[in-house]
Amino acid sequence: MKIESMTAHEIRSGLIEKRFTAEAVVAACFERIRQAEPKIDAYLTLCEADAMAQARSIDERIERGEVPGKLAGVPIAVKDNICTDGIKTTCASKILYDFIPPYDATVAKKLKDADAILIGKTNMDEFAMGSSTENSGFKRTRNPWDLERVPGGSSGGSAAAVAAGTVPLALGSDTGGSIRQPAAFCGVVGLKPTYGLVSRFGLIAFGSSLDQIGPFAGTVKDSALLLEAIQGEDPLDSTSVKHAVREDYLSGIEEGVKGMRIGIPVEFFQAGLDSEIAAAIQESIERLKAMGAIVEEMSLPITVEGLSAYYIISSAEASSNLARFDGIRYGYRPEAFENLEELMEKSRSEAFGAEVKRRIMLGTYALSSGYYDAYYNRAQKLRSKIREQFREAFQRFDLILSPVSPVLPFKSGEKSSDPIEMYLADIYTININLAGLPALSMPCGFSAGGLPIGLQIIGPHFGEDRILKAAYALEQELGLPDRKPAI
Amino acid sequence: MKILVEDVQYIAKLAKLSFSEEQAKKMAMEFESILTHFESIDKFDLSDIHLDLYSEALQPVLRKDETAVFPDKEKLFQNVKSMSDTSIMVPKILE
Repeated sequence: MKIESMTAHEIRSGLIEKRFTAEAVVAACFERIRQAEPKIDAYLTLCEADAMAQARSIDERIERGEVPGKLAGVPIAVKDNICTDGIKTTCASKILYDFIPPYDATVAKKLKDADAILIGKTNMDEFAMGSSTENSGFKRTRNPWDLERVPGGSSGGSAAAVAAGTVPLALGSDTGGSIRQPAAFCGVVGLKPTYGLVSRFGLIAFGSSLDQIGPFAGTVKDSALLLEAIQGEDPLDSTSVKHAVREDYLSGIEEGVKGMRIGIPVEFFQAGLDSEIAAAIQESIERLKAMGAIVEEMSLPITVEGLSAYYIISSAEASSNLARFDGIRYGYRPEAFENLEELMEKSRSEAFGAEVKRRIMLGTYALSSGYYDAYYNRAQKLRSKIREQFREAFQRFDLILSPVSPVLPFKSGEKSSDPIEMYLADIYTININLAGLPALSMPCGFSAGGLPIGLQIIGPHFGEDRILKAAYALEQELGLPDRKPAI
Repeated sequence: MKILVEDVQYIAKLAKLSFSEEQAKKMAMEFESILTHFESIDKFDLSDIHLDLYSEALQPVLRKDETAVFPDKEKLFQNVKSMSDTSIMVPKILE
């Protein structure tokens, strides 16, 4: 069994039709991990014994004639900032190096209910702050397409795990592009759902008004399948949507793009965009036109400035959210301390990494007396203007199409010394989080050097079905999922 | 905007972090460059935007404030570094 070339749909149907067992799937998955992981380092924790036990239980239920869940027997990797009952959840931070959650995040529970099999927890930038997974407190993950390059971030481990063919599905979180950018760098499909569509209960918070959990997959249909399994209202997350939303994202996915109005924001195609990325996206635009989409240029004037608003708001929220890590109830605690104040200060100073400290400091500054109005308040006002800009755009267009990243996957260490340069890598993704919109990143080509190129499809709030429809049409037209990295 | 090492040390105190003189100097330089970038927001006139967090369109979403017993206390306290009976031990806060 070659797990690296199987989709979640193929695994589930193979199990139901009894062509193979869940135990065989999990065994193949770990065989692939043993082959790929020494090169990629995508995982922080592997759960082989539990995964095998769960697979056997699914096999027994199928044998008894029961109809298993939507993701029956499908191996899945989960980003290490999503709480998993009894399984270490570290956020790739030394401050949580030994933290074992006493409960499951709602999405982890939903995966269990759907009979997905948790294979392991994936590496990430510490507390999801970064765009390269180089900020992990534990190890460096490599891009399966070129081991010298980064997999993107912050969900770099999840993207690399799917790209390396160790799992067909993974979960990540996206605060400013942390699903879409690594998906683009690793040549897989990554979807950031509308804010509120997927519960954040049990996701260790970074920027609570921006964070959203979403799927990674090798194909658009698998992405839709995983979205179906994890979406929905949750009484444990007061920001999850209350009204009934679509539960089926697969029916109608093959309807095509004929008549769809797609906007191309000119500001996303100006100086700074890599020429190979621009050319690959242009090629996709031509294909969409040929399939009957109505593609027109449009303007989203606030683009670059959104980056400032994003870094002010997300850092402010992070400084507040990360105040809970103090060495008292759980996590890292220094060996020697004189008093409570010193215990907290030493715990945080010794265990947080440089980027996390930088963001906490920026956030504390932006919220401090005398600066609140100049930074945080103005950033919130600009955010409201950005939301309005998108609302107006979606009166004219069904979807907006853009690059995901201005640059191709870069070499490890290339940008890590300059925070601003690293922050600029998020320029095309952050405004989507500020507006709470859904957006998908999918492969649309390769550079001359063989690196994947991603394309972003942005939809209106709860427009995931429309995004998936266009992405599926383009995926079929481009035929890219068949191209895999050689590991 | 000029950021002094003293500013960094003051913010660090608020954030319960500590930096050496050398680290604080480096952070002051990074802060300056990041805050200069943030000034791009100033080119917009945002005076007509009023942030109303308690908009009429928003409905209260709070659950009832009810106590519930966590089913497995051992699991709940498994991450605590030092305990005495059912209490978490911390250093003395009163001398």
